[in-house]
Amino acid sequence: MHWLSCRKTITLCIVFRVLFALGLDFYLSPPTSYAYYADNGDKVVEFINTGPGLLSASSPLTLYANLKESLWLYQRGMDPYGSGIGQVGVSPLYLAFSFFPTIAESGPLKTQLLSKLFGIFLWTAPDAFSAWFLVRIWKARASSRTSTNSSSSSITFVLPLIYLLSPYVILSSLARSTSVWENAILLGAIAWACESESEFKTKPKLNNSNSKSKSKSLLFLALRVHLSLDALILLPPLILILLGSPESRLAEPGPFALYVAKRRSVKKQPEEKLPNEPAENHLRSTILRAALNVLFEFMVYWTALALISTLIVGHWRWMSTTWGTSLSLPSMTPNPGLWWYFFTEMFDHFRPFFLVVFNVHLLMYVAPICIKFQHDPLYALFILVGILATFKSYPTLSDHGLFIAFWGIFPEVYPYLRHPFPTTLVLIHSALLQPLFAHLWLSHGTGNANFYYASTLVGACAGGMAIVDAVWAGLRIALERHGKRELKFVEGEEREIVTQQ
Amino acid sequence: MDGQGLRLQAFLRRFFRPAGDPNLARINRRRTMFSFIARRMTVLKLALFIAGYVWIFSVPSSQLDRGVYFDENALQPGQVNAYWNWKEVHDADHFLGELEILRDSNATSEQRSQFIMNEFLRIGLPASTQNYEFTGLSKGLNGTNVYAILRSPRVSGAEATIISASWISRVNEGDGTLNLRGVATVLALSRFVKQYSLWARDIIFIIGDGYMEGMQAWLSSYHGVTQSNLRAQPLELTSGVVWTALNIDYPGHSLSHLGIFHEGLNGRLPNQDLLNSFQYISRRTGVPVVLYDHKDELDLGWLPDNIRNHPEIKTYAAQARNLWRHVRYQASGRGSGVHGLFHQYRIDAFTIFAVPAAGPHGFHSLGRIIESTLRTTNNLLERLHASFFFYLLTSFDRFVKIGNYLPSVILISVAMMFGGLQVWVDAAWMERRLDKHEEGSTGMVWVRRRRPVLEAVSIVLGTHILGAACFFFLSHKWYQSLPFTSPLLWVAAYILPLAVPRFFPQNITDNIAPLSLVLKAFNLCLSSTVISIISVLNFSLAACLAVALGIPLSVASSSSNGAMGMVRYTMYIVLGFGWLLLDETRKQMIWDWDILGVWLLPFLCVVYYPLSLQAALVCII
Repeated sequence: MHWLSCRKTITLCIVFRVLFALGLDFYLSPPTSYAYYADNGDKVVEFINTGPGLLSASSPLTLYANLKESLWLYQRGMDPYGSGIGQVGVSPLYLAFSFFPTIAESGPLKTQLLSKLFGIFLWTAPDAFSAWFLVRIWKARASSRTSTNSSSSSITFVLPLIYLLSPYVILSSLARSTSVWENAILLGAIAWACESESEFKTKPKLNNSNSKSKSKSLLFLALRVHLSLDALILLPPLILILLGSPESRLAEPGPFALYVAKRRSVKKQPEEKLPNEPAENHLRSTILRAALNVLFEFMVYWTALALISTLIVGHWRWMSTTWGTSLSLPSMTPNPGLWWYFFTEMFDHFRPFFLVVFNVHLLMYVAPICIKFQHDPLYALFILVGILATFKSYPTLSDHGLFIAFWGIFPEVYPYLRHPFPTTLVLIHSALLQPLFAHLWLSHGTGNANFYYASTLVGACAGGMAIVDAVWAGLRIALERHGKRELKFVEGEEREIVTQQ
Repeated sequence: MDGQGLRLQAFLRRFFRPAGDPNLARINRRRTMFSFIARRMTVLKLALFIAGYVWIFSVPSSQLDRGVYFDENALQPGQVNAYWNWKEVHDADHFLGELEILRDSNATSEQRSQFIMNEFLRIGLPASTQNYEFTGLSKGLNGTNVYAILRSPRVSGAEATIISASWISRVNEGDGTLNLRGVATVLALSRFVKQYSLWARDIIFIIGDGYMEGMQAWLSSYHGVTQSNLRAQPLELTSGVVWTALNIDYPGHSLSHLGIFHEGLNGRLPNQDLLNSFQYISRRTGVPVVLYDHKDELDLGWLPDNIRNHPEIKTYAAQARNLWRHVRYQASGRGSGVHGLFHQYRIDAFTIFAVPAAGPHGFHSLGRIIESTLRTTNNLLERLHASFFFYLLTSFDRFVKIGNYLPSVILISVAMMFGGLQVWVDAAWMERRLDKHEEGSTGMVWVRRRRPVLEAVSIVLGTHILGAACFFFLSHKWYQSLPFTSPLLWVAAYILPLAVPRFFPQNITDNIAPLSLVLKAFNLCLSSTVISIISVLNFSLAACLAVALGIPLSVASSSSNGAMGMVRYTMYIVLGFGWLLLDETRKQMIWDWDILGVWLLPFLCVVYYPLSLQAALVCII
């Protein structure tokens, strides 16, 4: 019943999105105008990239124009990664789809409307997948919960809404940024990781889970990392999910091995007590071995994808223009991230040092967050997604959209958030200021780069506030549930726990 | 270190690092701080409001502004000997005579554009005409523009400057007075500049038909912008990127002062250096400059003499008059004339308005000033970028910097934000009397309650959707053609929201906060956000919003008395949607949106009306 309503919601949202995109297309190039015959949805992309999504809707890595250029060059037998063409390239895997534009422009889809619909479909379908994966993640997380309260059923239908109708996601999709595909692939990897079963965990009560989930998950993460390298920092929490479980255990923190041991004892010999010292050591090494296995499998997929890419292109140089870009920031096109302005201002001889600093800054969070939230790896992954959206080298609006949608999966932390309302307000300010200041700078000519950068700083503040609050609330649950603090009602005084607002 | 220093150090250490658990101390310190602020929140809000309003009303005073100055060294204004002389004045008189004959013979716009084009061609400039026609709401609005291009004799012509005049003058915002002398000046100028080879960029001469619409059509075609309700002929001649434009408006017989009109569409302003150069050149040439057409002093006869003649008061009154005019132009989004259309294409432009008078100046002075200004802009090596884009002119040679006027509105917006946050926190708590059997039974306790966030968000979204629907009706064809549409729409906008309380029945329970409180919190925070963001884009609009919404939204509260609630509801709806019943204003706004794309109408419908509607709903929920 609920499953059905979730599907209905997704279908309705997708129908709305397609109609919206089509309506916008007709509005921008009415069928009577010359432009209608000339373009295939490019007017909409241009409108978004120069209008509401100026600078923010797509980064150089995910820009539709770059994708089209690479495909065009590849179709004509030229090397898309050759010197002088551009420092930022798309993944060679996209080149395998070089027959798509041909389909769209001739052949069976000669009709303008069909061709337009095909283009819209290509960039709306991934969002449908994303929403579906989000619901599956939620179901995997909630499946083991003892009491399913009334709010959990409504979440299956709210989750698709907050992803599919989020302006962040809609703008990226209309701008045909490849990041919508990247999001779908990442969510797929997470969903399958949540549904997978391992020797350490009980089988989730889901119809569609099977033993291949683990491999699918790793393959999808390898694909996501292949498309854009930043997702590599999500590998550790994903491995933890694969070995452990996605269910909500924020309230009962403890070492990862303990949970695995508990589950194992439940699974194998229910009467066995918790493991003693040598058994624990044994367990540790088992876990380590399993983790190495998973890591090895991931590396195999990743290498395979890299080999396929090399076969497609014919040389290895694609690596520096695709993976290298997120590390070395060759294009300083303004984007909602924090890197470009900093590196524009800097003297060139400091560049290598600060590139290392910025990259290490991203890596720095992985270990502490995975250790602190080892009892709930999905939550660790959620926080790392937020960190990526805020601090990575080429973020776009869709990264923020993903982070915002992820919040829907963790309703248990809402009561412990300290400042959700101010965070939302800061986010709204930044969402309104970004297009405005980008226009003051680039189209009115009255502002300058500092305006836009200031607005993205406001956005980074919102991201930072959200991350800090997520960490706070995630840790606070345990404190509250364990009753370590006496909740005293003192006359006329706030409860200590509620330092919020 | 001496004893005093040590004691200070010890004190500081005690203050920042007190004995005991540092975390506990930190929490205590934070709580003390928050409760200190929270207890004084009402006073703080009031102080912010008062500071904001006082600041807004002291912007015209001479304490906050300063003299203008040049920032772009390349301009070199007034450094040339002007060549314009009596021969050119004679040309202008000749063209004027021809134009007057055309006027008297009731020539159609086709005929007069043919005449002007022929004159351009006779001078030796490539010239052409452009027909345009508006469809949709303003069906039948059509005309013909004429333009000519002087190819730059010195460089490749990648850049251009525009000299324009519209057929109808801006007197009384385009009431139909003809701008014959302005057109004659442009024709004489085109003949004049042809003789010299010093131009570093192309000069485009345009005579726009009508008041604003002709130039809108021409500029849209030039920049390749398609407007769905405009059918304009493509231009036969084109040139490069336009950097600056001068629009000449000379409706009278002679002139005594030259006026500056500079506000553009949707609150845009040109670079201040352009205005500075013009007023500097004009005064050096001997023609006094004024802002707008304010050449007469404001009549303050109703004030006692000793106050009226106080220099500070006189300055304040004069500057307040200028600013009030500015606010009206900028907040309406319509701009103050034809030059306003240029700003959207990143062209710095303003109108030189010859204030009608019996004398003493005429074509001679005007021509010299325009020539000198043209040669100043000719010196530019890059787009004007150095001086200010965010400023308020209090007089032609004084202005208020952004740092001196922006805080006024931001203070009010912060006060509203604080108010919203306070209501949001208040909604989460309620005081309850302790039951008798509980220990310490004397007092009251604070307990938390749930806040109905989802309901409030859906009301907020609903009001904005209703506003969007109103906008859809207002900008539709039927609206003009059917009778009584405005009162009907008004009544609909008044009655439809009354159904909202039925959808959200009030459940008086202890553990759920009243919906009106949460709605008010959202309303205040949203309004604050809108005001502070608009303040960068269009300060006048933001100031108007701050004055119109600041206090009223903050005092909205639900009333137990039904009739009282309805009175308040009505007042908020009138505040938010009253403009619909003003016939002239409404028609003007619809025309502006339809032809020029001025954002005021959609803004009022989709943002402003919903904000006051939310406050209205707070009163009846």
